[in-house]
Amino acid sequence: MNLRELLGIAWQGILSNKLRSGLTVLGIVIGIASVITLLGIGQGAKLEAEKQVQSLGVNLIYVRPGAANLSSISQGQGSAATLTYDDAQAIRENCPAVEDVAAQYNSAFQVQRGEQNTSTSVVATEPSYTDIRNFFPAKGRFFSLNDLKEAARVCVLGETTANNLFFDENPLRKQVLIRGELFDVIGVMEHKGVTQMMDMDDQIFIPLSTGYATLVGLNAVTGKQVKSILVRAKEGEDMQAQFQITNLLRLRHNIQSPDADDFTLRTQADIMQTAQSITGVFSLLLGATAGISLLVGGIGIMNIMLVSVTERTKEIGIRKAIGAKYSQILSQFVIEAVVMSVTGGILGIGVGLAGASALSQFAQWTTVVTPSSVLLSFFVSLAIGLFFGIYPARKAAKLDPIVALRSE
Amino acid sequence: MANETIIELKEITRSYNLAAEPVHALQGVSLTIKQGEYVAIMGTSGSGKSTLMNIIGCLDKPTTGTYILDGQDIVARSDDELATIRNRTIGFVFQQFNLLASMSALQNVMLPLVYAGISAGERKVKAELALKELGLEGRISHRPNELSGGQQQRVAIARAIVNNPRILLADEPTGALDSTTSREIMGLFNRLVDEGMTVIIVTHDPETASHARRVIKVRDGKIQEDSTREARHEIN
Repeated sequence: MNLRELLGIAWQGILSNKLRSGLTVLGIVIGIASVITLLGIGQGAKLEAEKQVQSLGVNLIYVRPGAANLSSISQGQGSAATLTYDDAQAIRENCPAVEDVAAQYNSAFQVQRGEQNTSTSVVATEPSYTDIRNFFPAKGRFFSLNDLKEAARVCVLGETTANNLFFDENPLRKQVLIRGELFDVIGVMEHKGVTQMMDMDDQIFIPLSTGYATLVGLNAVTGKQVKSILVRAKEGEDMQAQFQITNLLRLRHNIQSPDADDFTLRTQADIMQTAQSITGVFSLLLGATAGISLLVGGIGIMNIMLVSVTERTKEIGIRKAIGAKYSQILSQFVIEAVVMSVTGGILGIGVGLAGASALSQFAQWTTVVTPSSVLLSFFVSLAIGLFFGIYPARKAAKLDPIVALRSE
Repeated sequence: MANETIIELKEITRSYNLAAEPVHALQGVSLTIKQGEYVAIMGTSGSGKSTLMNIIGCLDKPTTGTYILDGQDIVARSDDELATIRNRTIGFVFQQFNLLASMSALQNVMLPLVYAGISAGERKVKAELALKELGLEGRISHRPNELSGGQQQRVAIARAIVNNPRILLADEPTGALDSTTSREIMGLFNRLVDEGMTVIIVTHDPETASHARRVIKVRDGKIQEDSTREARHEIN
């Protein structure tokens, strides 16, 4: 008896009760479709996170102050006022593995333009910011080294901020008030979206020097305080750059033991890892949900196969009487289960692909259905048929022909 | 041809341990049947005739004793080997026909050939031939529920003989048929015997048994009487 004949016999068995078989197959369709769709969402989220991290800039090292300790209670990373503009300059001058540096001081301020009034994050930084962040103006220009030197009252608006303040008007050569100080708008940044939980488009960029002169003022203890220093390492020299920066800052801050570091370094790889671990957990949860529905589908197959074996005891007896061997009865029922689960699997893959593309289309979610998740789903459905079909099939194959023949 | 022994039972017993006390369905049955014989096994319900038939048909194994079928010792065989013997050596005919309702007459008749590993093309030829022999050439694509009782039993006989078995084993083959159809079926058995088939009928009905040339009466798990037609004629 070859496989084609076994498939034929199985198909006959399935067709003998179409509604029941259809409902059983539906259980697998739902299970496999959820696996495909949810894996697609998980993969999409992962891809999106990676894209966002990439868009932060290449070879980026993020230097931030350490946690401030008030009476030995940590205030959290970045709360200490220990990084200065001089530190940024020192990194620029003394670290050979560093290509570029941009110090930044950011804080939320009230911004006005005519009737429009909004609170937004003002980033006081250096012209090198655009290259390091891979983030450029779409209209007008970013401020220059000259603007920085002269502490010019100029600003560049993020896309969202520009829309909030100017709607459809062109903001160039117009003015805004930042905490009551007048600034000329010289540029509008390109669209960047949300990265690392921060809306990159709802910001205003001003020269660092102007920030100190008009908005922040100097810190009595540390001079020109910065909130973070963005560093771009030379290509392939990330590790050296980190090492050089760490040593330099320890030297400058008189730090003896690494435990006493008053600054932290984060690289793109660190951020990527965090993002991946978050999306990994996300994918795992989605996968587990889909897995449960598949399990339920598999139990449905087992249940129906058990009912089918009971109903067809007489048939099994007849087949045995005329010479069917154990393995022939076993394979008949296993193949019946596998045909149902694989039919469900193939339909489920179709439904899942449709679901994933519908989510991308209508909910604007990034979904990525990889060939490997399609293959995985197919083989999982096959395995479900085998696993949940084998017990009922063994029950059928082990039936005593005399008892089976006598049953009605 | 008629002198070759095909079935040889020696001191067969069969006990079941169903209740607290074991049931002894067969208590030492010895029996020899030759190729080409037409035998009726008779007995009331509970006499042990069904158990005897199951053992002869290799559906069941004796508790003790030996059974030689067609030169092979049956007692030591595995379940799968018994399945093969049932497939090749024995054809079964049942009271309730036992056709598969979802299959056509042709598919039903082809089924033993499927398990015999015969190719699809050859199966069809053989099954059509068997159906034709039984006058069913116009019914090959009918389902069992589209056939009369007599026709169904003829499909079942076609299924039983399609694989050219040495023995035809019929369990109350006329039990579900009217008397005219019964005579027709019994006539078919006569024909098969004339062609050299060994036919064994298990029945409680003396009318059915009267067609056979040898009648074995079973009672309380033992052979009570074993007589050929000639002998019975002499008694009469």
